[in-house]
Amino acid sequence: MLILPESPAMFYCRFTLVLCALAACLPVIRAESKPEHADHWAWHSPKRPEIPVPKHSKPQQPIDAFVRVRLEAVALPHSKPATREQLLRRATFDLHGLPPTPDEIRDFVADSSPNAWEKVLDRLLASPRYGERWGRHWLDLVRYADTNGYEFDESRPDAWRYRDYVIRSLNADKPYDQFLTEQLAGDELPNRTADALIATGFNLLGPDMTDSSDQAQRRLNTLNDMTDTAGLAFLGLTIACARCHDHKFEPFPQTDYFRLQAFFTPAAFRRDLSVASPEDVAKHTRANAEYQELTRSVRESIDALEQPIRTRLFDAKLKKLPPEARAAHRTPAEQRTGAQLELVANTERRVAVSSAEILKELPEAERAKLVELQNQLKSFDGRKPAPLPVAMGLTDRPGPPAKTFLLERGELKLPAGEVQPGYLVVLSSGQRTVPVSIASSSAGTGRRLTLAKWLTQPDHPLTARVMVNRLWQNHFGRGLVPTASDFGVHGEAPSHPELLDWLANEFVSGGWKLKRMHKLMLLSETYQQSVNDAEAHRVAHAKDPENRWLWRMNRLRLEGEAIRDSLLLVSGQLNPKMGGPGVVLPTTAGVAGGSRPITATPDATEYTRRSIYLFARRNLRDPFLESFDLPDSNLSCPRRERSTTATQSLTLLNAEETTSAATALAKRLQNESKTTPAQVNRAYQVLLGRQPTSTEQTRAERFLQDSPLSELCRALMNTNEFVYLD
Amino acid sequence: MIRSQLFEHTPAPRSRRDFLAKAGFGFGSLALTALLAEDSAGADADPLAPKSPPRDASAKQVIFLFMSGGPSHMDTFDPKPDLTRLHGEKLPASFGPVTTRRGVDKNRLLASKRTFRKHGQSGIEVADWFPHLAKCVDELCILRGCYGDSVTHPESVYLMNTGSILMGRPSLGSWVTYGLGTENRNMPAFVVLPDPGGWPKGGSPAWGNGFLPSTFQGTLVRGGKSPITHLDSPKGISTAQQRRTLDFIAESNREHLASRGADSELEARIAAYELAFRMQSHAPEVVDISQETKETRTLYGLDRKDTAEFGTRCLLARRMIERGVRFVQLYSGDTNGWDAHSDLEANHGKLCQQSDQPIAALLTDLKRRGLLDSTLVIWGGEFGRTPMTEGTSGRDHNPHGFCMWMAGGGVKGGQVVGSTDAIGLRAETDKAHVHDIHATILDLLGFHHKRLTFRHNGRNERLTDNGGEVISAVTG
Repeated sequence: MLILPESPAMFYCRFTLVLCALAACLPVIRAESKPEHADHWAWHSPKRPEIPVPKHSKPQQPIDAFVRVRLEAVALPHSKPATREQLLRRATFDLHGLPPTPDEIRDFVADSSPNAWEKVLDRLLASPRYGERWGRHWLDLVRYADTNGYEFDESRPDAWRYRDYVIRSLNADKPYDQFLTEQLAGDELPNRTADALIATGFNLLGPDMTDSSDQAQRRLNTLNDMTDTAGLAFLGLTIACARCHDHKFEPFPQTDYFRLQAFFTPAAFRRDLSVASPEDVAKHTRANAEYQELTRSVRESIDALEQPIRTRLFDAKLKKLPPEARAAHRTPAEQRTGAQLELVANTERRVAVSSAEILKELPEAERAKLVELQNQLKSFDGRKPAPLPVAMGLTDRPGPPAKTFLLERGELKLPAGEVQPGYLVVLSSGQRTVPVSIASSSAGTGRRLTLAKWLTQPDHPLTARVMVNRLWQNHFGRGLVPTASDFGVHGEAPSHPELLDWLANEFVSGGWKLKRMHKLMLLSETYQQSVNDAEAHRVAHAKDPENRWLWRMNRLRLEGEAIRDSLLLVSGQLNPKMGGPGVVLPTTAGVAGGSRPITATPDATEYTRRSIYLFARRNLRDPFLESFDLPDSNLSCPRRERSTTATQSLTLLNAEETTSAATALAKRLQNESKTTPAQVNRAYQVLLGRQPTSTEQTRAERFLQDSPLSELCRALMNTNEFVYLD
Repeated sequence: MIRSQLFEHTPAPRSRRDFLAKAGFGFGSLALTALLAEDSAGADADPLAPKSPPRDASAKQVIFLFMSGGPSHMDTFDPKPDLTRLHGEKLPASFGPVTTRRGVDKNRLLASKRTFRKHGQSGIEVADWFPHLAKCVDELCILRGCYGDSVTHPESVYLMNTGSILMGRPSLGSWVTYGLGTENRNMPAFVVLPDPGGWPKGGSPAWGNGFLPSTFQGTLVRGGKSPITHLDSPKGISTAQQRRTLDFIAESNREHLASRGADSELEARIAAYELAFRMQSHAPEVVDISQETKETRTLYGLDRKDTAEFGTRCLLARRMIERGVRFVQLYSGDTNGWDAHSDLEANHGKLCQQSDQPIAALLTDLKRRGLLDSTLVIWGGEFGRTPMTEGTSGRDHNPHGFCMWMAGGGVKGGQVVGSTDAIGLRAETDKAHVHDIHATILDLLGFHHKRLTFRHNGRNERLTDNGGEVISAVTG
């Protein structure tokens, strides 16, 4: 059973400890009897199970012991190991989202040392390509995009810092408890780092209607979105269904939803969190003071001309804002409440008056004068310091936290009673409403940090299980719990509950390190099984067509990103540059509905970077990735769909991505090998990671009699073998 | 995948043999035998196979004519003599407070400048902007009591298309193709024909698949030789070369499959390449209107500058319906479209001029070809407009009351269902929320809207969320 955090004296010595008096503040809380489904496995902490001993084999890896025992119980065989070529291709795609090179294959096949496979895994896990691959899985879960969505779909110029934070964290093997804590509450951490602030961008990644006519509703939508997503991503629970009413299938009363939301209510939704280092700030301050001094007189002259018109235009624009926003702008900056500060930040763009607008309003004579002054000012641009980096994220608003209300039917206009932050009843001590003690600090109310600490307790029933299950799903194609974000009563039961609990225990006792867990899973014989061992298939397929018992490896299909990145890699075009603002391809730069066009990245060498670095527009998605089930980024996506359609085939056949790769690869092959047979051989090695059979060799050579080499490349890029892993 | 979703009351796809026969598969008995051997898994791998709805229904296909930007109901299909009488006065206090996008609640009322006349046997009044459509009025069921939830474009566009003001949910067309599959695998199942001037506000999520598999998302189709993105063979590749390359792919794939035993996903992907090739040759034919008779071309207004563009898209819609496309959505109006905040007369006048004749032609043409009974045609925008004026000559957004119409597909024509209040501000009798309209559309197609569900993040999601009542009067 879960126990509340012990007095965290060591950690909190600098903070004042505040106990939130909760008591029964809610008329809506029902008399507390045991909730329904109180015994559901996922509400109780995983026990560390004994490693079982299979009767007919003695596997080295604990994972295999758990799997084999189950297979024996249902009288199913396991499959023979895959070939080394297949294994290397599988693992390289799995960990990097890219194919192995022919040299890497040759080395592995030739390596007779007993730890050859382990060396491969260590090499793959140490590469920065790992973070780019697994970062994408995480971005699916957190609904990442680079724009706001809705009508204007404005760019979020700093969203990429969160994307890079994820990649960096994974590559550094940051412990998952820290990764989670930073995303929920990085701003509340003592000695917070820039990365910890950037991480809180997690909460704001959903779509946002910036010009909503109802800004209070807009704020609630964002709060709901972050509550729902935290529930799905970290708890693996569909808590969102309890927003409008008690959950129909799970023992989550509606109060649970708003108690969870109350952890987030005090937060201001910021897009201007300074993430510069103190040295950079000092440097910037100095440079800026110099610049201000240099330009003082010219700026004062400009102001004298502009100010009257600026005031008039500003007033006119302000009139178009809703009354509460008008009042916020009229309140002197230092007197604004937290809500007003946010409202001003969110509407600033709409009342901003540009120099061009002012120029238009000026009398002819003064216009020339202003232009001249502006040119003078411009001549100092070289001395102007570049703006300091900012990020999206949360900080708690100053002052007492806003109240959280239970909202009937989830509607803003129907508040039914105040609630205090609290954990889900089924996960609380004694499965009853328990007051939560929260330590506030100078950094904020401490609510989100308290939530993060609760989530990352070693014996939390869900956090570790949910995460190891996500790792398993991405390695094996299907989770031990197939409903990866639904561990509730209504979700699917785990196929191997003891294995799940063992993995969760290993994860926590190993310091929440992901790379160690990847390695454990990939070292298992279960992972190394063949996809199609005919003998095993004959016996097992009819009994277990879905491979629930893991008698073979599942056949995995490459995602759109892996396909595109592979095409770039094999054709020698891949630009390996990491990080930075998203790359806007010309194909996704145009207008889309009410959104303005976005400037395509001017440097064309950027177009061939990995797909995770492409600018993700909500209203105009990359057609290539879209046809391969790119999730729509508006809701958390726990598992990608895998569709097969004719339009998808047309895309891979005819898209520029394929044809340019085919042409470039053909050139490369012609440079590397002089004869047709050698070129064919090399094409199979580069694209499919193996030698062609003699039938294939003959067929390809025959094909090349009336087709160019680039067509052979295009054909192989379209084969099932290219997009499905053995 | 699909099979694991709760899909209540919808029978499994018709047999795979039936589907293959219909689709005219030509890739040999080897694959066919393999497919038949794994019928259930095969159904899983082909979510677009045609399916029967749980209930027999006359409507089998849908054309949604979306008037992007929000057309005024008071100036089109909802005459308001009292508004004319009260022209120039302030909104009477008895109407209470009202929310609009641009805060026009205190503005004066603006009479329609249009003349309404009774038409057809039903005697329904239609504005004089629609001389052609007026002749079809006995086919129309006009819903005058519609209302929605938001005063903004994108939220309302999403609501009308996906049942939610929040972005990212599956669109109506996606739900319908999820429920019914499609009869023509040589074309996308759900086709979107946007205005060449621009997309509706809110962009592609309006025809997105949301959490449904991407198989069900709307595909943009345009006229001309290259109607679908990536349809054309790459530059410099002849049809013969494309066929050779495809043959090479197919041969490699068959060998790959043979060495791996039956696998419905691999088989489905082999089939998808054959479909892709046929789509390459077939789709340009679908959008090639050169074979249409002069009479038909004139009917749709292709010979006139102002009607030619929208007329062409209406004609394309008919050609696609004829060839079994399940859901066609046409947008009238560019990104601003019918959004007449000022000079409504000029704005609506032009758009009516562009669309009246083509829409009437579409109804007429569908009818004479015997397709109207099985094709549900829907007309409407994301909301209506205010009876209060904006500036001197425009109207603001009005989600509180507006009109739409339906025709064909089992709809009882020549009737008006519901009404707005005396001045057209709010829906008043037989009110129809957007969820009700969606419930009715699904009902006309043979589905109970509460039972067409897809399990996502622990919830059986549906188009109508937690609401929706079928408007029974629509079927008479």
